[in-house]
Amino acid sequence: MRLDHQRHHSEDEVVDVVVVGTGAGGAPLLATLARRGLSVVALEAGANTDPEQYTPDEVEAPGDINWMDERISGGSTPTAFGPNNSGTGVGGSTLHWGAFTPRPNQHDIRLRTDSGQGEDWPIDHAELTRWIEQAEHDVGVAGPAHYPWDPERRYRMGPPPRNASSDMMIRGAAAVGITATDAPVGLTTEDRHQEHHGLRQACVSCGSCHQGCRNGAKVSMDTTYLPAAVAFGAEIRAEAFVHGIELDARGRVEAVVYRQDGRDHRQRCRTLVLAAGGIETPRLLLHTGIANSSGQVGRNFTAHGATQVWATFDESMRSYRGYPSSIITEDFVRPTDADFAGGYLIQSLGVQPLTLATSLVRGGGLRGAALVRALQDYPRMAGVGINAECLPYDDNRLVLADEVDANGVPKARVTFSPGSNEEAITRHAVRTMTAIVEAAGGTDVRVLDRTAHTVGTARMGTDAGNSVVDAAGRSWDVPNLWVVDNSVFPSSLIANPALTIMALSLRTADRLIRDDASADREQAATAVA
Amino acid sequence: MPTTVFCLHALGSSSEEFVGLRSRLAGTLDLVGIDLPGFGTSTAATGTTVEEMVVLVERAIGRSGATDWALIGHSMGGKVASVVASRTVDGSNGLFGLRAVVLLAASPLSPEPMDEERRQTMLDWASDGEIGPDEADAFVDANTASRLDPEPHAIAVHDVERAVPQAWTDWLVRGSREDWSTVFPPNPVPALVLAGAEDGDLGPEAQRTLNLPHWTAGEFDAVPDAAHLLPWEQPDAVADRIRDFWHRRVDHGPLVPAETARVIASPRVSARTRGILAVRALPDAPDREPRALTREQLDTLRAVARVVVPQPGDRHLDLALRVDDQLADELGDGWRPDGLPTDVEAYRAGLDALRSEAAQGDEHLAGVLDAVTAGEYTPTTGPLDGSQLRAWLEDASVDLAKQWMAHPATMAAVDYDGFANGGDGLRKQGFLLLGAGEREAWEPTGAGR
Repeated sequence: MRLDHQRHHSEDEVVDVVVVGTGAGGAPLLATLARRGLSVVALEAGANTDPEQYTPDEVEAPGDINWMDERISGGSTPTAFGPNNSGTGVGGSTLHWGAFTPRPNQHDIRLRTDSGQGEDWPIDHAELTRWIEQAEHDVGVAGPAHYPWDPERRYRMGPPPRNASSDMMIRGAAAVGITATDAPVGLTTEDRHQEHHGLRQACVSCGSCHQGCRNGAKVSMDTTYLPAAVAFGAEIRAEAFVHGIELDARGRVEAVVYRQDGRDHRQRCRTLVLAAGGIETPRLLLHTGIANSSGQVGRNFTAHGATQVWATFDESMRSYRGYPSSIITEDFVRPTDADFAGGYLIQSLGVQPLTLATSLVRGGGLRGAALVRALQDYPRMAGVGINAECLPYDDNRLVLADEVDANGVPKARVTFSPGSNEEAITRHAVRTMTAIVEAAGGTDVRVLDRTAHTVGTARMGTDAGNSVVDAAGRSWDVPNLWVVDNSVFPSSLIANPALTIMALSLRTADRLIRDDASADREQAATAVA
Repeated sequence: MPTTVFCLHALGSSSEEFVGLRSRLAGTLDLVGIDLPGFGTSTAATGTTVEEMVVLVERAIGRSGATDWALIGHSMGGKVASVVASRTVDGSNGLFGLRAVVLLAASPLSPEPMDEERRQTMLDWASDGEIGPDEADAFVDANTASRLDPEPHAIAVHDVERAVPQAWTDWLVRGSREDWSTVFPPNPVPALVLAGAEDGDLGPEAQRTLNLPHWTAGEFDAVPDAAHLLPWEQPDAVADRIRDFWHRRVDHGPLVPAETARVIASPRVSARTRGILAVRALPDAPDREPRALTREQLDTLRAVARVVVPQPGDRHLDLALRVDDQLADELGDGWRPDGLPTDVEAYRAGLDALRSEAAQGDEHLAGVLDAVTAGEYTPTTGPLDGSQLRAWLEDASVDLAKQWMAHPATMAAVDYDGFANGGDGLRKQGFLLLGAGEREAWEPTGAGR
């Protein structure tokens, strides 16, 4: 995005707010604060990219927009990082995200009340929905005229065209009595003039959302909130890796230290907001040793169950064409026959070839002639996949490894093992998905296990003893330190996280400006009561 | 069908100079000469600068419809060939399918070393508006180790005489002096750099120091009893070297089908993506020393690759060598399994642990790999335990499978053309027809599956 005309702040200036990260957590807040006249500087570890130069090539694209610095992944089911779930660059993970934008429903944020497991969110659902609607309005979200599971809901743009996988899921779901329709998606399906950015072209069904959108159709922060932020005076510093946080004698943040162009810089600030995502936010907090009196930083790492079921069809499907996940069903948000807490969403799937090859090896365990045959079946394959609740577990956690990265900061080591609840959801979902693809005429059904997203690790709550931040995103320990990204999620939700992160970002910006901790905490206590 | 080789001649020459090579290489390669502007039968009207020559050549290649081609560049034509090759592998000229380059006593991308007195003499020849017969004769003799036979001599002299003085002068005054050496990065296309053992300013030393370093997959040889006019002087020796180079270094590995190559060359593909695919389509170097692994480890990885990704057909990629490159360039996937050392260390340890198993044949190795994945195998040597070996094997299998899928010939084989979803225009093309069984007019007809 254009940064050449942006306002510049000196490092000696005490800016009102420094925001670490420019993705879905940082960008909406940055725009809100700038619009309200605060002096704000965003520090982004990744580069400022030119969308025109993105490539659909799956080998090269990750180097542009994914976080490729090494992380260490353990546990019984190590979650894959890199292109699977981790972004970088001005715009953060919204550069590579899939733009699937279901809303969190009221069951999701009342998980503990409903099921006795997991955690409740300390936020009222109606209030969260208002922020969601604001975010949808700001960035442009497309969806069906009638949303079966929430008839009041309206989308301003029609859905993107369906591809062969979409038609397959609609057909299969109908045959087994499941309601399915066009999914809410963060795409502009018609030419849209985005305030302070310019023209975002209508989606052309190129299919390369995960490799970076070249024409501005997909919602990403560098074509929406960030240009607005810059227009109102925010400064974005790219390739600026934050590794230090300095506190004054009263225990308040007074500056951040970051590496840029091979040397350390120090930016003074009145308030610090961490929006670096579910891995980098806790890593920074653990590295600097602050805001962790609860001992909760890094704990409760959750990754959505994202198991896929693929089948082979008689016809050529070539589901790499078109928006990859255009169909949704919310029929399994809380299945009546559930033997688990939570539920799952199902979406249709398009896939690029290297991603499929990776899944066939890792999740499908294929090798040799069976692997080659499966890859040769690629053009006739179509599938469906889930986004499933994952309960927070204390010992699924992120810690600092013994080895350091190029900046001398310890690498993140993440341990993740799904529990019996996750396994029960997956069993149920595989049954459902298998029924759909078989009813649609698919044979040679393949189940590919995988997980997606990085959630938890700095959770919000109403008790300073077992959460890192309060319901507004304010640190319990350091009064001028805030966190807003997927790390604050107390439970994973079954909705894909980015839209909710944007909503929380708008909400935290509102609370930060109001600056009334006791009011925020009273409101949260009411919400969970 | 033999690969088309576009041949770019020297100053004062024409496509006539490749007649001998053409007949000698027929059946292996199909040589097609292009007369550069102002030489042979080409008019100078299209412009005689290096860039204008490059564009003329690129248009000729594009018009030919070739999807599988190589370049030969002699002297002045070598500089033009080098620029065309660079603009092909970076995707910018809209061509695809370049497999190799042969340079004959080539003028380098940097300013050509040329004795100033000789330059002035040649300029003087053209200053009166025509190059006379004596001057042409002197030029040919000065550039050959011994006098050519009468017939080739007469043709070579005739080519000099019919050169348009402006083209001749433009090269001597400007083209030969232009420095293109910093415009492009080193070129990975397999290149054969030949020198005439008795050439002067562009002899073996100049070829080794000025041309060879530009070609990261280049090899050098000197042709005995030849000065500068290699194709005229030693057509047998030159043809033999090209034929050997072609069979040994270039003509193996999968070929990108013509339909797919045409799509990659089309405006539906961005220059960047075209360049990425151009480099990836280049043939592996069969004898290349590994960069990250040892010879033994590479051979073990080749055995693992045969078991994990048994490639169909008889033209295979060297997947192990490609993974070795990936390791040497430290191109990881953003994470590694807990308990494993760094990627390259894990590869070395895993391959050492499997070396003796691989030595017992692929069938035996396949059983071992199954046991590793099942958690039923305990390595007898090295630092990895069974579970570490299993984690590494999964990583390595992903790497090998991705290397195979990423090749444009494999993409064509699995009916994938999703790279052709947007060029560099103001609007991206994307896809209009998305349904099952639907296919757009531009799409390859598919693998018939």
